[in-house]
Amino acid sequence: MDIEIQHGPGNAAAKIHLHPRETVIAEGGAMIAMSSDLHVETTTHNRGGGGILKGLKRLLAGESFFINHFTSGDHGGNIIFAADLPGDMMEYRLDGDTLIVQAGSFVCSSSEVTMDMSWQGFGKAFLSGERAFWLKIGGHGQVVLSSFGAIYPVEVNGEYIVDTGHIVAFNETLNFSVTKAGGSWMTALLGGEGLVCKFQGQGTVWCQSHNESTFGRALGPLLKPRS
Amino acid sequence: MNPDAREYDYSVECKPDFAFLTVQIPAGQTLKVEASAMATMDTNLVMKAKMKGGLSRLLTGESLFVNEFTAQNGPGQIGIAPGSPGDLEHVYLNNETIFLQSSAFVAATPNVQTDSKWQGFKGFFSGEALFLIRCSGVGDLWFNTYGAMIEIDVTQDYIVDTGYIVAFTEGLQYEVGMLGGLRTSFLSSEGLVCRFSGQGKVWIQTRQVPAFAWWTLPFRPQKNNG
Repeated sequence: MDIEIQHGPGNAAAKIHLHPRETVIAEGGAMIAMSSDLHVETTTHNRGGGGILKGLKRLLAGESFFINHFTSGDHGGNIIFAADLPGDMMEYRLDGDTLIVQAGSFVCSSSEVTMDMSWQGFGKAFLSGERAFWLKIGGHGQVVLSSFGAIYPVEVNGEYIVDTGHIVAFNETLNFSVTKAGGSWMTALLGGEGLVCKFQGQGTVWCQSHNESTFGRALGPLLKPRS
Repeated sequence: MNPDAREYDYSVECKPDFAFLTVQIPAGQTLKVEASAMATMDTNLVMKAKMKGGLSRLLTGESLFVNEFTAQNGPGQIGIAPGSPGDLEHVYLNNETIFLQSSAFVAATPNVQTDSKWQGFKGFFSGEALFLIRCSGVGDLWFNTYGAMIEIDVTQDYIVDTGYIVAFTEGLQYEVGMLGGLRTSFLSSEGLVCRFSGQGKVWIQTRQVPAFAWWTLPFRPQKNNG
């Protein structure tokens, strides 16, 4: 499939051109327009494996419980995906490597990629207090990710620190640990930086310019209470 | 539709995220502008408030008030800022008709008729309290989106999530339904879609205001029942 990311970095959308009888999988609700002859199938998992349990795991990961499979007919077709929040999108080609993706940033991928929780990151990510889980995406194929704000890649060679709310994705070749930003826990908490991710090794971290939770906390108190 | 045709001179700056429209109104001429969208203007412009469509508008719950700006004693310039950050497009209607989602109207020249077309009987946006404005006649029409705008040439059938429709040309057939079967539609979280067929254009937006509003929900304070 050919991916065309339009109108970044403000309100990006991804237009996917499908070859005949090709499938793109996407988070539920991401489709905004498409050729009318695409066949739509909704499953709780990647077709051919997993089952309800995998669907539940994805739900816990902050992704929609259901994954939609859009398959083109004999003449190909196209489909447009968008995110809810203002921001950019990026395309990544997996070639047998693995990407760890912040839950919620996943937009769509070719059907050949595998998607699973990164259990290795479970405890650490949970502690970070941000969106609790990561998706682990591997295999061969293309992936589209979205961000809140702009996306910028950081090549890590050695050590690098990123606030947990600013991570879109990173290469699995990087090790990470969740740690405090300041010298002591007191400065970390008082500084408002909370917990950060310390990456070690070689690889790329894709960061987003803005932090959803920070914006939400600025906006929330101005809104009417939930009834 | 001729993309170069225009009745009044205009310019659009800061596309696609913060599109802002500037129109040169010729001497003695008038421009219809969405209420409260005027940001700047020359002092020789005179404003008159109009409620277009009458009572049916009130019934739909949509306040669609249009202000008319007339340039007296010479030409005048007006700067127009749509309510939502996003994109803005212009079409020149030459006895053609476009249907606009109500909130997308920005401005039009006097010979463009703007009629609200109550869609209840047609069930166009059933379940989503939206209605359309029918814009027809001869002249300029400007409309805006929340987020960026994508123009789609419909030559075969095309499907659009109803919440992302901004405008479409008359002559397209449309049918609102669910994506796939009942089960698929329910599970897929894709909601209602509109299936367009025939020949024409559809404009869609890349973001939607309700989705942003829903996103704020977990950040809103809890109601204090004490």
